[in-house]
Amino acid sequence: MTRRSIWIALLLVWSLAPMLWQLVSSFTTADALVNEQLSFWNRWTLNNYRDLLSTDPPFWRYLFNSSLVASLTTLLTLVLAIPAAYGLAKLPIRWRGSLRTAVVGAALFPYVLLFLALLELARTFSLGNNLIAISIPYSALSMPLALLLLTAAFEALPNDLEDAAKLEGLSLWQRLRWVLLPLIAPASASTAILVFLFAWNEYPVALTWLSRSDLLTLPVAMARIAGSSTYSVPYGTYAAATVLGAIPLLVLVLVFQRQIVSGLTNGAIKG
Amino acid sequence: MTLELRAISKSFGERPVLKQLDLNVADGECVALLGASGCGKSTALRLIAGLDQPDQGSIRINDAEMVDVPAERRRVGMVFQSYALFPHLNVWENLELGLRIRGGTTGTRDARISRVLEVLQLSEYAQQRPSQLSGGQRQRVALARALLRDPLVYLLDEPMSNLDAQLREDLRPQLRRLMIGGDQPVVYVTHDQQEAMALADRIAVMRNGSIEQIGTPRELYLQPASTYVAQFIGRPQMNLLPAQNGVTIGIRPDDLRLDSDGWPCTILSREWFGANQMLLVRCDRGDLRMVCSGETTIAAEPQISWSSDCEHRFDGISGRRLPSA
Repeated sequence: MTRRSIWIALLLVWSLAPMLWQLVSSFTTADALVNEQLSFWNRWTLNNYRDLLSTDPPFWRYLFNSSLVASLTTLLTLVLAIPAAYGLAKLPIRWRGSLRTAVVGAALFPYVLLFLALLELARTFSLGNNLIAISIPYSALSMPLALLLLTAAFEALPNDLEDAAKLEGLSLWQRLRWVLLPLIAPASASTAILVFLFAWNEYPVALTWLSRSDLLTLPVAMARIAGSSTYSVPYGTYAAATVLGAIPLLVLVLVFQRQIVSGLTNGAIKG
Repeated sequence: MTLELRAISKSFGERPVLKQLDLNVADGECVALLGASGCGKSTALRLIAGLDQPDQGSIRINDAEMVDVPAERRRVGMVFQSYALFPHLNVWENLELGLRIRGGTTGTRDARISRVLEVLQLSEYAQQRPSQLSGGQRQRVALARALLRDPLVYLLDEPMSNLDAQLREDLRPQLRRLMIGGDQPVVYVTHDQQEAMALADRIAVMRNGSIEQIGTPRELYLQPASTYVAQFIGRPQMNLLPAQNGVTIGIRPDDLRLDSDGWPCTILSREWFGANQMLLVRCDRGDLRMVCSGETTIAAEPQISWSSDCEHRFDGISGRRLPSA
């Protein structure tokens, strides 16, 4: 038991220490970051946050952009992936195998290779600089993973449940709404979080599709902060941006932690 | 209300599961489909329910053709082996879901659910989830749901196979009172011959996708049409003596008796149940199961015989029943 707690403590340090470092840095003056001699009381400042929020456009604008894009992406992905996953789970076994392989292949494909093609699409259909439009490639890129997770969730449901619902007189949509969706809710929640995270963190597509400074998403905006000066790296501001950018995710995970855990372990559904 | 299956065939891929199955269930009659696993009895039930489609043949309920009617609109009440209760809903919501979807006012709905819960002694569990209930309680909820369906036919798919023996005996009278003997035909799938004998008006013994014999429990017990039926009906199993002159002789274990002029045997094993006991004995015609009163004292090398009226005669090759000699 004590051995286990040591491992857990190590794991916590391993994963939390960098975040703590960022947090501390974000409240530290630029001087103090390079000067160890400074006394403890002179090290602290809120200037990094003030700088961040007083730029034009202010930093919260990027937070809003990212939230919008990530929410739209999550919504679009789930709306498309849930019916598709249901269909995949109901296919005859001989087709299911090859389709599954194709989906896994798509999930493993390094999507950076696609970004030139995506840029061409954005140009042809004038989808650039549009926060709603960018959620389309994001959904497409998240689709394989969402399909895999949701198909597995549908397959894990006992067939008898849907049969019973059928005999109770529920049509396909009623079965989805009243029986199947509530039962795969944990898997949907964990899928939603993963898709949200992907859209929140995505860089190359956002870099090429969005150029207007008031439409940037967080990763691009943060890269701009880091590259804003040729002569110095604004560590403090950068750290403050990281902290602010992580807060929405932390909130999301805290709110949905039960669903995420049960969805990932997938032992949640028992008759 | 009647149920009629005509020449139903069904195969999964290359494997035929049902071959030209015919079955009639009359108004209020309970027919048990009895057979080993994989004989097609559950498939037959799923075809009646509309959960699978037959390759050919016709299914008629009250003389209306049902093959093209989707399961949602077939009005059958089915109890699944796994109970198939919705795990995310409590008992009340489980019963309410179907009623709500099928329409009707909240008032009548609530009244009907309360009544069924009361009849099945489930009222105090209305707010509990299925996972909080015992096996027997879950089974009663599943019965309640089937009752509330107002079905034209009741289909029971091994409804008691997940319960322990004690509970099964307790539930049988409830089942008989609520479902069996109403207006609806009942099809009861089971692999437990005792349950079939206890509940069914007629038993259809199935083998490899067709009905080997159908008849009242009494007919099946007294006049089994083949060695397969003979061994399926009645416990302990009927003794089959190896064929002599192309004739296999079957004798029920309870028809054997101790007789000082009989065949000399040695006792291989003895199981004592109180009221009776079962002996496994070896004589020169083979090993025999024998049941006699628990009080009987048995010699180490008893002699046994049987009256020739008790002999069931079967064809040595096909296993079909031969007319009594």
